[in-house]
Amino acid sequence: MTRIDQIMQQDHVRLDALLDISARAVREGRWQDAARHLEQFRHGIADGHMVVEETTLFPAFEAREGGTEHPLTALLRKGHQDLRVFFQEMAEAISAEDAEEFADLLSTVQTILKQHDAKEETELYPYLAEALPDHGQAVGQEILTFAAGERA
Amino acid sequence: MSEYRGCELPEDLFYDLDYVWVRPEEDGILTIGVTDPAQTMSGRLQKARIRKLGTHLEAGRHVATLESGKWAGGVPVPCAGEIVARNEALLDNPHLINVDPYGDAWIARVKPDDPRHALDNVKTGPDAIEALSAWIDRYDVQCMRCSD
Repeated sequence: MTRIDQIMQQDHVRLDALLDISARAVREGRWQDAARHLEQFRHGIADGHMVVEETTLFPAFEAREGGTEHPLTALLRKGHQDLRVFFQEMAEAISAEDAEEFADLLSTVQTILKQHDAKEETELYPYLAEALPDHGQAVGQEILTFAAGERA
Repeated sequence: MSEYRGCELPEDLFYDLDYVWVRPEEDGILTIGVTDPAQTMSGRLQKARIRKLGTHLEAGRHVATLESGKWAGGVPVPCAGEIVARNEALLDNPHLINVDPYGDAWIARVKPDDPRHALDNVKTGPDAIEALSAWIDRYDVQCMRCSD
Protein backbone atom coordinates (compact mmCIF):
# COMPACT_ATOMS: atom_id res chain seq x y z
CA MET A 1 0.00 0.00 0.00
CA THR A 2 1.31 3.46 -0.93
CA ARG A 3 0.26 6.23 1.42
CA ILE A 4 -1.04 9.60 0.22
CA ASP A 5 1.99 11.44 1.61
CA GLN A 6 4.37 9.30 -0.43
CA ILE A 7 2.28 9.65 -3.60
CA MET A 8 2.01 13.43 -3.34
CA GLN A 9 5.70 13.88 -2.55
CA GLN A 10 6.60 11.79 -5.57
CA ASP A 11 4.29 13.96 -7.68
CA HIS A 12 6.13 17.08 -6.46
CA VAL A 13 9.39 15.55 -7.66
CA ARG A 14 7.84 14.62 -11.03
CA LEU A 15 6.45 18.13 -11.54
CA ASP A 16 9.71 19.82 -10.50
CA ALA A 17 11.49 17.76 -13.14
CA LEU A 18 9.03 18.88 -15.83
CA LEU A 19 9.62 22.53 -14.91
CA ASP A 20 13.39 21.97 -15.04
CA ILE A 21 13.07 20.57 -18.57
CA SER A 22 11.20 23.68 -19.71
CA ALA A 23 13.77 25.96 -18.02
CA ARG A 24 16.62 24.13 -19.74
CA ALA A 25 14.92 24.60 -23.12
CA VAL A 26 14.62 28.34 -22.43
CA ARG A 27 18.32 28.56 -21.55
CA GLU A 28 19.16 26.80 -24.82
CA GLY A 29 16.82 29.02 -26.85
CA ARG A 30 14.54 26.14 -27.87
CA TRP A 31 11.38 28.22 -27.47
CA GLN A 32 8.87 25.77 -28.97
CA ASP A 33 10.17 22.96 -26.75
CA ALA A 34 10.09 25.31 -23.77
CA ALA A 35 6.45 26.21 -24.44
CA ARG A 36 5.47 22.55 -24.86
CA HIS A 37 7.20 21.43 -21.68
CA LEU A 38 5.88 24.38 -19.68
CA GLU A 39 2.34 23.51 -20.77
CA GLN A 40 2.98 19.87 -19.77
CA PHE A 41 4.12 21.10 -16.35
CA ARG A 42 1.20 23.53 -16.03
CA HIS A 43 -1.35 20.89 -16.98
CA GLY A 44 0.14 18.40 -14.53
CA ILE A 45 0.24 20.77 -11.59
CA ALA A 46 -2.76 23.05 -12.20
CA ASP A 47 -5.23 20.60 -13.73
CA GLY A 48 -4.09 17.50 -11.83
CA HIS A 49 -2.17 17.98 -8.59
CA MET A 50 -3.84 21.20 -7.44
CA VAL A 51 -7.33 20.06 -8.42
CA VAL A 52 -7.01 16.89 -6.34
CA GLU A 53 -5.79 18.96 -3.41
CA GLU A 54 -8.51 21.59 -3.72
CA THR A 55 -11.39 19.19 -4.25
CA THR A 56 -10.36 16.32 -1.99
CA LEU A 57 -7.37 16.80 0.30
CA PHE A 58 -8.03 20.34 1.58
CA PRO A 59 -11.73 19.59 2.29
CA ALA A 60 -10.72 16.36 4.07
CA PHE A 61 -8.30 18.33 6.26
CA GLU A 62 -10.79 21.14 6.86
CA ALA A 63 -13.55 18.69 7.80
CA ARG A 64 -11.34 17.44 10.63
CA GLU A 65 -9.62 20.68 11.64
CA GLY A 66 -12.12 23.51 11.92
CA GLY A 67 -13.56 24.32 8.51
CA THR A 68 -12.66 26.33 5.44
CA GLU A 69 -11.08 29.22 7.33
CA HIS A 70 -8.19 27.11 8.64
CA PRO A 71 -4.95 29.15 8.19
CA LEU A 72 -3.04 26.24 6.64
CA THR A 73 -5.45 25.49 3.81
CA ALA A 74 -6.25 29.20 3.35
CA LEU A 75 -2.53 29.80 2.75
CA LEU A 76 -2.20 26.80 0.43
CA ARG A 77 -5.27 27.81 -1.61
CA LYS A 78 -3.87 31.33 -1.92
CA GLY A 79 -0.58 29.85 -3.08
CA HIS A 80 -2.38 27.94 -5.84
CA GLN A 81 -4.17 31.11 -6.95
CA ASP A 82 -0.87 33.03 -7.17
CA LEU A 83 0.94 30.20 -8.95
CA ARG A 84 -1.72 29.99 -11.68
CA VAL A 85 -1.03 33.66 -12.54
CA PHE A 86 2.72 33.07 -12.53
CA PHE A 87 2.31 30.11 -14.91
CA GLN A 88 0.47 32.40 -17.37
CA GLU A 89 3.24 34.98 -17.06
CA MET A 90 5.92 32.35 -17.69
CA ALA A 91 4.09 31.22 -20.82
CA GLU A 92 3.92 34.83 -21.99
CA ALA A 93 7.67 35.27 -21.38
CA ILE A 94 8.30 32.22 -23.56
CA SER A 95 5.98 33.54 -26.28
CA ALA A 96 7.93 36.81 -26.21
CA GLU A 97 11.22 34.83 -26.21
CA ASP A 98 12.26 36.87 -23.17
CA ALA A 99 14.80 34.70 -21.33
CA GLU A 100 15.54 37.34 -18.69
CA GLU A 101 11.90 37.74 -17.75
CA PHE A 102 11.42 33.97 -17.71
CA ALA A 103 14.45 33.51 -15.43
CA ASP A 104 13.10 36.07 -12.95
CA LEU A 105 9.69 34.41 -12.92
CA LEU A 106 11.24 30.95 -12.64
CA SER A 107 13.24 32.03 -9.59
CA THR A 108 10.12 33.28 -7.84
CA VAL A 109 8.02 30.26 -8.81
CA GLN A 110 10.67 27.82 -7.64
CA THR A 111 10.88 29.66 -4.31
CA ILE A 112 7.10 29.57 -3.93
CA LEU A 113 6.97 25.88 -4.84
CA LYS A 114 9.78 25.01 -2.43
CA GLN A 115 8.04 26.72 0.48
CA HIS A 116 4.56 25.56 -0.53
CA ASP A 117 5.62 21.94 -1.03
CA ALA A 118 7.51 21.88 2.27
CA LYS A 119 4.40 23.06 4.10
CA GLU A 120 2.28 20.39 2.44
CA GLU A 121 4.85 17.65 3.03
CA THR A 122 5.35 18.47 6.71
CA GLU A 123 1.88 19.59 7.80
CA LEU A 124 -0.83 18.42 5.39
CA TYR A 125 0.10 15.08 3.85
CA PRO A 126 1.38 13.32 7.00
CA TYR A 127 -1.79 14.40 8.84
CA LEU A 128 -4.03 13.01 6.08
CA ALA A 129 -2.01 9.81 5.76
CA GLU A 130 -2.93 9.10 9.36
CA ALA A 131 -6.47 10.52 9.28
CA LEU A 132 -7.86 9.02 6.06
CA PRO A 133 -9.21 5.48 6.38
CA ASP A 134 -6.98 3.88 3.75
CA HIS A 135 -4.03 6.22 4.41
CA GLY A 136 -5.31 8.19 1.42
CA GLN A 137 -4.46 5.51 -1.11
CA ALA A 138 -7.75 5.92 -3.03
CA VAL A 139 -7.20 9.67 -3.41
CA GLY A 140 -3.59 9.09 -4.33
CA GLN A 141 -4.75 6.81 -7.11
CA GLU A 142 -6.38 9.85 -8.77
CA ILE A 143 -2.98 11.51 -8.98
CA LEU A 144 -1.30 8.35 -10.25
CA THR A 145 -3.97 7.88 -12.92
CA PHE A 146 -3.66 11.52 -14.02
CA ALA A 147 0.14 11.27 -14.22
CA ALA A 148 -0.08 8.00 -16.16
CA GLY A 149 -2.48 9.68 -18.61
CA GLU A 150 0.05 12.45 -19.21
CA ARG A 151 2.81 9.97 -20.01
CA ALA A 152 0.60 7.96 -22.41
CA MET B 1 -6.22 54.90 10.86
CA SER B 2 -7.92 51.62 11.77
CA GLU B 3 -5.95 48.95 13.54
CA TYR B 4 -6.70 45.24 13.96
CA ARG B 5 -4.46 42.76 15.77
CA GLY B 6 -1.72 45.39 15.61
CA CYS B 7 -2.05 45.81 11.82
CA GLU B 8 -2.50 49.34 10.49
CA LEU B 9 -5.27 49.75 7.90
CA PRO B 10 -5.57 53.33 6.59
CA GLU B 11 -9.21 54.11 5.86
CA ASP B 12 -8.50 56.43 2.93
CA LEU B 13 -6.87 53.75 0.74
CA PHE B 14 -8.45 51.23 -1.60
CA TYR B 15 -7.71 47.51 -1.17
CA ASP B 16 -7.90 44.36 -3.27
CA LEU B 17 -8.81 42.66 0.05
CA ASP B 18 -5.69 40.53 -0.21
CA TYR B 19 -2.09 41.86 -0.31
CA VAL B 20 -2.48 45.14 -2.12
CA TRP B 21 -3.40 48.75 -1.31
CA VAL B 22 -4.13 51.32 -4.00
CA ARG B 23 -4.09 55.13 -3.78
CA PRO B 24 -5.65 57.05 -6.69
CA GLU B 25 -3.65 60.24 -7.30
CA GLU B 26 -5.14 63.52 -8.56
CA ASP B 27 -3.82 62.88 -12.08
CA GLY B 28 -5.57 59.49 -12.27
CA ILE B 29 -2.41 57.46 -11.71
CA LEU B 30 -2.71 54.59 -9.19
CA THR B 31 0.01 54.17 -6.59
CA ILE B 32 0.29 50.54 -5.46
CA GLY B 33 1.84 48.89 -2.43
CA VAL B 34 1.36 45.96 -0.06
CA THR B 35 -0.56 46.15 3.19
CA ASP B 36 0.79 46.00 6.72
CA PRO B 37 -0.71 42.54 7.41
CA ALA B 38 0.66 41.25 4.08
CA GLN B 39 4.19 42.46 4.82
CA THR B 40 3.92 40.94 8.28
CA MET B 41 2.85 37.57 6.90
CA SER B 42 5.70 37.63 4.38
CA GLY B 43 8.41 38.18 6.99
CA ARG B 44 11.59 40.20 6.47
CA LEU B 45 11.74 40.85 2.74
CA GLN B 46 15.07 40.12 1.08
CA LYS B 47 14.33 40.53 -2.61
CA ALA B 48 12.04 42.73 -4.67
CA ARG B 49 11.69 42.69 -8.42
CA ILE B 50 9.53 45.32 -10.11
CA ARG B 51 8.56 45.11 -13.77
CA LYS B 52 10.17 47.58 -16.16
CA LEU B 53 8.81 51.07 -16.79
CA GLY B 54 6.48 51.14 -19.77
CA THR B 55 5.35 47.53 -19.26
CA HIS B 56 1.66 47.05 -19.92
CA LEU B 57 -0.15 44.71 -17.54
CA GLU B 58 -3.59 43.18 -17.65
CA ALA B 59 -5.65 43.23 -14.45
CA GLY B 60 -4.46 40.63 -11.98
CA ARG B 61 -0.95 40.34 -13.43
CA HIS B 62 2.04 40.95 -11.18
CA VAL B 63 3.70 44.36 -11.15
CA ALA B 64 6.28 43.06 -8.69
CA THR B 65 7.47 39.91 -6.97
CA LEU B 66 8.69 39.83 -3.39
CA GLU B 67 10.68 37.20 -1.50
CA SER B 68 11.62 36.67 2.11
CA GLY B 69 13.24 33.67 3.74
CA LYS B 70 9.87 32.05 4.29
CA TRP B 71 7.58 33.49 1.62
CA ALA B 72 7.50 34.53 -2.02
CA GLY B 73 4.67 36.01 -4.03
CA GLY B 74 3.45 38.54 -6.53
CA VAL B 75 1.86 41.97 -6.26
CA PRO B 76 -1.09 42.05 -8.68
CA VAL B 77 -2.45 45.19 -10.30
CA PRO B 78 -6.19 45.84 -9.86
CA CYS B 79 -6.76 47.02 -13.43
CA ALA B 80 -5.09 46.99 -16.83
CA GLY B 81 -2.54 49.74 -17.30
CA GLU B 82 1.02 50.84 -17.92
CA ILE B 83 3.78 51.14 -15.33
CA VAL B 84 4.80 54.82 -15.22
CA ALA B 85 6.97 54.78 -12.10
CA ARG B 86 8.60 52.25 -9.83
CA ASN B 87 10.23 52.61 -6.45
CA GLU B 88 13.91 51.99 -7.23
CA ALA B 89 14.82 52.18 -3.52
CA LEU B 90 13.07 48.85 -2.93
CA LEU B 91 15.34 47.03 -5.35
CA ASP B 92 18.32 47.71 -3.05
CA ASN B 93 16.39 47.65 0.20
CA PRO B 94 13.21 45.54 0.02
CA HIS B 95 13.07 45.49 3.82
CA LEU B 96 11.76 49.06 3.58
CA ILE B 97 8.38 47.46 2.83
CA ASN B 98 8.43 45.94 6.32
CA VAL B 99 9.21 49.33 7.85
CA ASP B 100 6.90 51.72 6.01
CA PRO B 101 4.45 49.79 3.81
CA TYR B 102 2.08 52.72 3.22
CA GLY B 103 4.67 55.48 2.85
CA ASP B 104 8.18 55.35 1.45
CA ALA B 105 7.72 51.73 0.37
CA TRP B 106 5.13 52.25 -2.32
CA ILE B 107 5.97 49.80 -5.11
CA ALA B 108 4.83 51.19 -8.44
CA ARG B 109 2.58 53.69 -10.16
CA VAL B 110 0.27 52.54 -12.93
CA LYS B 111 -1.65 54.57 -15.49
CA PRO B 112 -4.99 52.79 -15.99
CA ASP B 113 -6.18 52.02 -19.52
CA ASP B 114 -9.71 52.99 -18.52
CA PRO B 115 -9.69 55.52 -15.67
CA ARG B 116 -13.47 55.29 -15.25
CA HIS B 117 -13.23 51.64 -14.20
CA ALA B 118 -9.78 51.68 -12.58
CA LEU B 119 -11.17 51.12 -9.09
CA ASP B 120 -13.87 48.58 -9.96
CA ASN B 121 -11.92 45.69 -8.40
CA VAL B 122 -10.88 47.37 -5.16
CA LYS B 123 -12.80 48.42 -2.06
CA THR B 124 -12.51 51.20 0.50
CA GLY B 125 -14.20 52.35 3.69
CA PRO B 126 -15.66 50.32 6.54
CA ASP B 127 -16.51 47.30 4.36
CA ALA B 128 -12.89 47.06 3.22
CA ILE B 129 -11.57 47.33 6.78
CA GLU B 130 -13.98 44.59 7.89
CA ALA B 131 -12.91 42.31 5.03
CA LEU B 132 -9.23 42.93 5.77
CA SER B 133 -9.82 42.12 9.43
CA ALA B 134 -11.31 38.80 8.32
CA TRP B 135 -8.19 38.29 6.11
CA ILE B 136 -5.98 38.89 9.17
CA ASP B 137 -7.95 36.29 11.14
CA ARG B 138 -7.89 33.80 8.26
CA TYR B 139 -4.10 33.85 8.03
CA ASP B 140 -3.67 34.26 11.78
CA VAL B 141 -1.53 37.40 11.45
CA GLN B 142 -0.39 39.53 14.38
CA CYS B 143 1.41 42.71 13.33
CA MET B 144 4.29 44.26 15.24
CA ARG B 145 6.03 47.51 14.41
CA CYS B 146 9.40 47.21 12.75
CA SER B 147 11.85 50.05 13.42
CA ASP B 148 14.87 49.32 11.18
